Amino acid sequence: MQDDYGSIWSYRAKWAYLLALVGVLLAPVFYVIYISFNEYGFAARIYEFTLEWYVVVLGDKILVASLEWTGYLALASVLSSVPMGLLAAKFYKRTRHKVAFVTLMLLPLFVPADIMASSLLVYFKNLNRVFEGLSDALGSELFYGWFDLGFLTAWIGQVLYTVPYAFVVILITMSRYRDQQTEAARGCGASAWQAFWQVEFPQIWVGVASSCAFVAILSFNEAPRTALLKGGFDTFANVLVAQMLNIGMSEESYAMAGIMSILSIAIIGSILIYSMARSERLERERRVKAQPLMSQ
Amino acid sequence: MAMKKSDTAAEDITGDLAVETFGVSKSYGQVRAVDEISVKVESGQYFVLLGPSGGGKTTLLRLIGGFVRPDAGRVLLHGQDVSNLPPNKRSTSMVFQSYALFPHMSVEKNVSYGLKLLKLPAPEIAEKVASILELVGLKGYNGRMPHELSGGQQQRVQLARSLVLESDILLLDEPLASLDANLRKDMCHELKRIQEQVGITFIHVTHNQEEALTIADRIAIIADGKMIEEGVPKEIYERPRKKFTADFIGQNNLIDGKIIGIDGNHVTIDLGFATVTVPRSEQSPDKGAEVTVSVPAEMIEITKEAPQDNEVSQFLQVVYEKETYLGFGSQHQILLPDGNGFVAMTKSSGEPFRLTHGDIAYVVWPTAAARLHTS
Amino acid sequence: MPNSALDNRTEGGRHPPASEGLWVRVLGENGVQKWVFYIPVVFMTLFLAVPMALTVVWSVFERTQFWMKPGLTLFAYETFFTSARAENYLFSMLHAAIAVVISFALAFPIAVFVRRRIPAALQHRVVLLFILPFMISELVRVFALRPVLGRNGVINTFLMDIGVISEPITVILFSPIGVVIGDVISFMPFMVFAGFLAMEAVQGYVFEVCEDLGARTLRAFREVIVPLAAPGIFAGSVFIFVNSVGGALVPTLLGGPGAVNAGLIVNQAIVAIDFPLAMAISAIMMATLMLLLYIGHRMFDLTKILEPLS
Repeated sequence: MQDDYGSIWSYRAKWAYLLALVGVLLAPVFYVIYISFNEYGFAARIYEFTLEWYVVVLGDKILVASLEWTGYLALASVLSSVPMGLLAAKFYKRTRHKVAFVTLMLLPLFVPADIMASSLLVYFKNLNRVFEGLSDALGSELFYGWFDLGFLTAWIGQVLYTVPYAFVVILITMSRYRDQQTEAARGCGASAWQAFWQVEFPQIWVGVASSCAFVAILSFNEAPRTALLKGGFDTFANVLVAQMLNIGMSEESYAMAGIMSILSIAIIGSILIYSMARSERLERERRVKAQPLMSQ
Repeated sequence: MAMKKSDTAAEDITGDLAVETFGVSKSYGQVRAVDEISVKVESGQYFVLLGPSGGGKTTLLRLIGGFVRPDAGRVLLHGQDVSNLPPNKRSTSMVFQSYALFPHMSVEKNVSYGLKLLKLPAPEIAEKVASILELVGLKGYNGRMPHELSGGQQQRVQLARSLVLESDILLLDEPLASLDANLRKDMCHELKRIQEQVGITFIHVTHNQEEALTIADRIAIIADGKMIEEGVPKEIYERPRKKFTADFIGQNNLIDGKIIGIDGNHVTIDLGFATVTVPRSEQSPDKGAEVTVSVPAEMIEITKEAPQDNEVSQFLQVVYEKETYLGFGSQHQILLPDGNGFVAMTKSSGEPFRLTHGDIAYVVWPTAAARLHTS
Repeated sequence: MPNSALDNRTEGGRHPPASEGLWVRVLGENGVQKWVFYIPVVFMTLFLAVPMALTVVWSVFERTQFWMKPGLTLFAYETFFTSARAENYLFSMLHAAIAVVISFALAFPIAVFVRRRIPAALQHRVVLLFILPFMISELVRVFALRPVLGRNGVINTFLMDIGVISEPITVILFSPIGVVIGDVISFMPFMVFAGFLAMEAVQGYVFEVCEDLGARTLRAFREVIVPLAAPGIFAGSVFIFVNSVGGALVPTLLGGPGAVNAGLIVNQAIVAIDFPLAMAISAIMMATLMLLLYIGHRMFDLTKILEPLS
């Protein structure tokens, strides 16, 4: 696809544009991080580097508590969305109703956060009422408050949000896997689970790990759905939004934004670096394989 | 070192049949991939499923192996109905066309995979792996990784992986298709040697006739989801019963005609532009029946002068068209009086061929060489 | 001589009993394993499809002081259409459309460039490059526009410093323009991904054929590439459009007083404890979404996007 006749400058210009666009998208974020290290905050004439604001944020008990809750929610999301994405990818391969299934799985991408969250809010309230009625009919309190706004409801919102991403990433990874290998394993006597765990998973684990990282970051960064569906706790992002709207942009806000961004950049950056290192290694292997095979 | 199935397994077997299917069918949506096929495979046989691509032979193999569930009919292995059992519960093993070695495991780990699942003790596993690798000609390759092996070697490892489990039935799904021509011939003989040495049943799927004829004890022709015909290679090649078989195997000329006379063991056919006499077939068609005559191209002799009318050969007057040199012989394109094409093969004799385009000529064949087909 | 372990295996393991228990016959050979694959479908149906469907039902309920009661009234819709909300909804759709067009113009050429000029192995790395901004919280990326676009922000300070302007430009923040900028920054990475996915439908040889036939770049683009990539482009556009109209985050942070979209109105309705109204707006939003997807499918056959995935 290299255009031997094309101008090298037009090629470079296009690359420059590409990088510029990424730069424009990232620049405001880096600017925020830059400000967060400033002793005097935003719009100050002088710049003095300090970690003070980060210390303040990480020392604040309420903020740390919200950070913990964010962590739990992210962990819960990863532990449920990634396996669900895996199951969905396998289901997709076997089912005959592929279009309907994919539509269902990818629908959350097309329903805006606030809309989905408000519908779920009403849904949970109604579910509670239904369950309460059921409980009363059975004369016990067994089904009371299952869907009270709390961790469970926030978790369900997160799962709905993140499953499509896990699904797509894993599906793409699996498309490079050959099903004959599972069949060969079954033919050797492996059960379905053994074939998956011993033969398939070792070949798709990179995709699964990536989707874990994505789901964790998406969950960690998410604000609108959690805001409506949580109860009894706040996530880090929720606190940040509340601060933004009520107090305005304080130095702590910048530090909080900085924490969120640095975390995401670190994780994605390491995936990028790892995948580049890995593809170097695979490329070397491929060159060995590509030696002309003689009839042996 | 021969790996024989255990003696107790021999007592287990009900009758001689390793595999039997009763009217198995499988559809994918509107497409009927396998349409009520009943086939019998005897123990210790090298059985080949031969047919055009997409004809259902692979699906049939997978039905036997348990990778696909039949919509109708039953599959029996050694007399037991296994129709509902998954592959890991059947006494079959499968060798695939390609990409079926576990890339993240060495040759040793690949071959010992099934044995490890059976929780056999490690020394025993090592011993079995060593002897099976020797059997397939890969002694010492234990530590290699799949991507370090050539195509032929990879297939041998697959073979080893399946054989080491000592199943009674080995299924092979176009195992030689991804190998180049020379290698294919060698591996073909290898497979036969191994099968004879081990003594188990092999069921081999291919679309390559030469492979099938070389290697099989028995061939079943599968096309359009149906079993067309079944028999030993010699029969299939020399005396095909069905028109499809004659068309598919070898190079045969098929001409349609009508029966105008029956005389003992011979039948007179009116081809429209000539009449010929053909030996009677097993089916007994009546006078007036529409039939097809097939004549093998390599049994044809081409002459300039009209041959004598006699009982041992038949001839047709034709127009000669063109010779194509093939090396070991030549293929001749010929025009029949009704406008259809006709092909003859002759061996290179060192003498130049003396007919040219447009010459009137005669094609002659031994009466006994032609076959009659009703379907 | 075959040893005993093998004998056991041949008898018990590889030749299983001919009859199967009822349990196996009911659940199939794999028992538990079969239904576990239905968990995603069940989950999504229970928590996405059902609530979405019920939204329409709830939108015709009657409002009560703290909740709502079952009924059949179009009061919520009336409230919506007779107030400034309907106007705001339409305006927000306009802004969203502008955001889509800008995003497309900026992002799609990148997808074409990558597909055409960059070797296959590297293409995925470029995708990864755009995942980075996507993975930084929308919250932070939008919030970060305030110190950039504001009165004392980077842009104004810079322009004033070099003397281009003497007064800070205020129209780029806390205004519809700010909202459009915010939407573009928020969602453009997704347009890049959608563009990549769309361009999977355009094989490398298409470019070569175009050049061979002498089609100039713009014409090739218009008549060949865009039609092939249409399904992916459309999906990306719908995503941006719908999230711009329905996401409250951007107008909340960058829109200032009066710049509202559907998402914001829904939030306001919930804060005002007017659930039927919130549901009505949600229902209208979802109807808009369904309509767009349906039109797109009829025009472009959106199922083509899935081909690279199978």
